[in-house]
Amino acid sequence: MGRKKKKASKPWCWYCNREFDDEKILIQHQKAKHFKCHICHKKLYTGPGLSIHCMQVHKEAIDKVPNSLPNRSNIEIEIYGMEGIPPEDIKEHERQKTGGGKASDSDDDEPAAKKKATSALLGPGPSTVTSGILPTPMGPVPPGMYPGPMAMNPMMPHFMQQRMMMPGMRPLFPAASVSVSTPSKPTFPAYSNATISAPPTTSTSSELRENGDVKPPAANTCPLVTATGAGSKIIHPPEDVSLEEIKARNAKFRPKPKPDAPSTPVSAPPMIAPSTSQAEINFQVAAHMSAAVAAARQQAMRRPMPMGMMGMLGQVRVPVPVSMPVPVLPVMPQFNLMRPIQPGMLLPGGMMPMGAMFPGGVPGLPMMQPRYR
Amino acid sequence: MFGGTNPNKDVEVASPPDDTVSALKFSPPSVPQTFLAAGSWDCQVRCWEVEASGKTVPKAAQSMGGPVLDVAWHDDGSKIFMASTDKSVKCWDLASNAAVQVAAHDAPVKTCHWVKAPNYTCLMTASWDKTLKFWDTRSSVPIMSLNLSERCYCADVDYPMAAVGLADRSICLYSLEGKPAEVKRVDSPLKYQHRCLAIFKDKKTQQPTGFAVGSVEGRVAIQYVNPTNPKDNFTFKCHRSSGTNNGYQDIYAVNDIAFHPVHGTLATVGSDGSFSFWDKDARTKLKSFEALDQPLTKCAFNHTGQIFAYAMGYDWSKGHESYNPSKKNFIYLRPSFDDLKPRTT
Repeated sequence: MGRKKKKASKPWCWYCNREFDDEKILIQHQKAKHFKCHICHKKLYTGPGLSIHCMQVHKEAIDKVPNSLPNRSNIEIEIYGMEGIPPEDIKEHERQKTGGGKASDSDDDEPAAKKKATSALLGPGPSTVTSGILPTPMGPVPPGMYPGPMAMNPMMPHFMQQRMMMPGMRPLFPAASVSVSTPSKPTFPAYSNATISAPPTTSTSSELRENGDVKPPAANTCPLVTATGAGSKIIHPPEDVSLEEIKARNAKFRPKPKPDAPSTPVSAPPMIAPSTSQAEINFQVAAHMSAAVAAARQQAMRRPMPMGMMGMLGQVRVPVPVSMPVPVLPVMPQFNLMRPIQPGMLLPGGMMPMGAMFPGGVPGLPMMQPRYR
Repeated sequence: MFGGTNPNKDVEVASPPDDTVSALKFSPPSVPQTFLAAGSWDCQVRCWEVEASGKTVPKAAQSMGGPVLDVAWHDDGSKIFMASTDKSVKCWDLASNAAVQVAAHDAPVKTCHWVKAPNYTCLMTASWDKTLKFWDTRSSVPIMSLNLSERCYCADVDYPMAAVGLADRSICLYSLEGKPAEVKRVDSPLKYQHRCLAIFKDKKTQQPTGFAVGSVEGRVAIQYVNPTNPKDNFTFKCHRSSGTNNGYQDIYAVNDIAFHPVHGTLATVGSDGSFSFWDKDARTKLKSFEALDQPLTKCAFNHTGQIFAYAMGYDWSKGHESYNPSKKNFIYLRPSFDDLKPRTT
């Protein structure tokens, strides 16, 4: 994608993506639009400069560069004209100029660390309200409560964003622009950007490719549980199946057929699943598992095949335990509903001492045999 | 990072289950005493009485044909429904101690919930067989069976709303008014497998207005069914290691979410062995606690919000290799009314 043709590109403003003919005008623009103090209208030279000015002169914390794009609002980065722009953003800008690149990536190319810094800065201040975090009495926002920087829909073509973000169209606080750009969408602009905080080419996709899996790194289908960021690890088996399903495959947790359950399926009670559908389900489950596991096994994380799986493939039918061979007894409505539960009522005979009620490890608890049996 | 079996000095429930707790529910307000029911992987459902002192007295136990995946109380507190991997749901009548099958699926039943509507009552069950069924407990055929696009992973009911989270991360919302009907399907705000779901109420109307879902990627989404402002919906991170471990931050699954019945604040428990209290309206963490040495699988508040119960046991998040059957499982109780009060700002 990155065409190497070095075309002398126009100077542009990192905060709002606007292009200028001359870097001098760009600097004027930045001073007027991005580095101007909203209280005394003094023009500062850089984002950190503005932040220090507001803090020292007005005792007010500024967390975002005014009039900036949501993902370019970091006030800590020192940018003056074209100086100080992160190299990857320059590359990205050039890529978009050449027109060949995917415009949709534009919001995602920011390093995760930078985004975190942006959000971590959110402190008390007018714009914090709009960006989704309320100032807390605790001071800094707790780390867990980070809703991600507000950003526009990453799928939106870049030129549209640019148009919407035109300076002058919006009030002082950039976060307000988010609601302008997505007025009625109940989607999660904040989130969509937050999770793709890692560059899209790292982690998930590259891992898959390394392992010879040609699956595209689809963001919405994750057959495997792998972390988005390179610096994090999700503590979960690689297969994207619930822990309960994985655990239930283990031979230890297989439902035990009731001793009195007939070995051949009883046809009459509708409670019993037909054996065909049973086998079908087993097969489906097994197929689903093996696909995922096959992929999972290629991962660096070596993980032995769950022992339950092979059994499931070969197994045709598990007898469905039924409580009774006849259809379920009607539950009588005349129970004294408010009757306090007492040990004597629960235990036929009513003479079991409290301590002996849970004899550890005795399955079936013989003294609690249902009365009707 | 893991610190002992009870670093927070909470009250230990007597005679805990022999295997991991998979369901934890307090008795409804209709019974004067407080009972705690827990389903576990040892195929048992146990019931304790919790006294005001915090003392727990084991009352009864009932077994299923397979590990128990969910339990639900009847609204009158006289019965407990037990969903199992044996593909059935049984109704355990506590007075007679009899258990009767009331529902069946073609695959393990992941969730069961008792629905109490003004004009009807029924049992809602959702399964890995990709169906959601409603039963009147007297018939062996469901009143209604709805197909799901995927296996059910989590569900919650707060009349008149029901929410079911699926393996494909979609969330189906149902209205239970009159009769159960699908209202809408919401795509997940989370990018990873859902593990738990809890409905929350509107503070003013006390009607269910949204839900929280937790994923395996240490994240919870707060989602309104009809947000007045799209920004009302948000997500937050939780259950992640604070430092880095060999250069990696460990991200753990959110195993359960419970809303405080009085304050509307919430608790989360995770595979990292920790639990935290949150205020979704102020978007702050109210309190976090020292992590236990094993994952926390389930949590629950009693109906007055005075007691918070949480269960510790291995949840398979590190695979079967890390399963150590000799490690004991625990359920702890903690006074929770004050800790979950929203902060006044």
